[in-house]
Amino acid sequence: MESVRLILADPYTLSRLGLTTLLNRMRYRFQVREVVSPEKLGSLGAKDAGCLFLVTSSFLSKCPSCLLGELKSKSRPAAFLLIRDSEDIPDSGISFSETIYMTDSDKIILRKLEKVAALVSRKSSHDSQNEELSDREKDVLRLVALGMTNREIGEKLFISAHTVITHRKNITAKLGIKTIAGLTMYALINRLIVPEEIHFNHD
Amino acid sequence: MQIGSNMKMAEVIHLNYQLLPILSRFGLHLGFGEKTIEQLCSEHDIDMNFFLVILNAYHDKKFFPHRHLKGFPLSLIISYLRKSHEYFLTVKIPRIDRLLEKLSPGGDEATTGSLQLIHRFFDEYCQELSEHIRREEEKVYPYAFMVEEAFFSGNPRPGVLEVIREYSIDDYESEHDNVEDKLNDLQNIILKYLPPTLDLNLCHALLNEMFRLESDLNDHARIEDKVLVPKVKLMEKVLLEKERR
Repeated sequence: MESVRLILADPYTLSRLGLTTLLNRMRYRFQVREVVSPEKLGSLGAKDAGCLFLVTSSFLSKCPSCLLGELKSKSRPAAFLLIRDSEDIPDSGISFSETIYMTDSDKIILRKLEKVAALVSRKSSHDSQNEELSDREKDVLRLVALGMTNREIGEKLFISAHTVITHRKNITAKLGIKTIAGLTMYALINRLIVPEEIHFNHD
Repeated sequence: MQIGSNMKMAEVIHLNYQLLPILSRFGLHLGFGEKTIEQLCSEHDIDMNFFLVILNAYHDKKFFPHRHLKGFPLSLIISYLRKSHEYFLTVKIPRIDRLLEKLSPGGDEATTGSLQLIHRFFDEYCQELSEHIRREEEKVYPYAFMVEEAFFSGNPRPGVLEVIREYSIDDYESEHDNVEDKLNDLQNIILKYLPPTLDLNLCHALLNEMFRLESDLNDHARIEDKVLVPKVKLMEKVLLEKERR
């Protein structure tokens, strides 16, 4: 299951509880941190980067803009979501991906939460994937493309079959290509192997 | 929004034009004027409830009225599945093939080589897809009909129960994955790794067709996995239990 880090900035116990209940009904697993007053924002830091920031308008109206600025520069949340629980929306300088109203039905609230959570979880999984293949992964890919089994690849590169499998998983995650035929085509297009090698191996 | 019997056919297509290919599978032509689904179905002798279920299942991925589905006779479901197979093989695949054909490279050797690879990969994919379809039509569907016949006759022909014990519809449920993976790989290679020297508009058209084919195949597989398989599974179970008693 995908896990999403979430910060819930809300001074009121009742609405915090209500939101947590709704969050538990979603398909994501949330790691929720509650912030009950603006002074506590200082406890957030760089480790919270990429999280989803849920804030109520009554929290915002008590929050000095300098604290918000600090939050944005220091812990850089991936997305903001506003919960309108009071009339006034203070000018916070934050652009919200979505706004939840107190009059929204549970279905609508869930849909909005879903949308923002998807945004955040995609961002974080993307971060871990947009790297180039490592040299070792290229070695493995080359041998996969030549039609070798995991065991054969392991023997050739002096690593365990288990390590080969891990490399293959990472290759697939990075390239978005699953099948052996697809990997072979990738290797050929990128000149990791030449067509003659494949024939040689099959014969 | 759920599609209902009193909606006009034209309205439905305006709501979601991706539903167009379904019409031909039910033998419907264009030019339906202001007619509602109900009117069209009675004119063309189409099982309206089944038509509505298919439209809604393609329109909304979450739509699945389990209650209704069990009631449809297999012949209805399978005739629909066969028609959509025919559509994949005679309309979709040749269309992608023609686009690949057109993508003749203007330049260097590397691009030519890559294109040939892609074409060959696509040919392989087509072979696998037709093989998969052939297996369904020659093995799986006749098997399903056999189970249905045994189920309704109350007195299965000799040997039928042995076949059911040997082979279960479950075996076939897991077969869809590999064909899907190949199409997905092909999309990614064109999208991410092809040399940027090719005709951009043609590449876009190609990807467009592939994504459409993919979603059509997924919908098709959903009907098989969620309608055909559970129905046959239920009858298998009843037959085997009856025998034990």
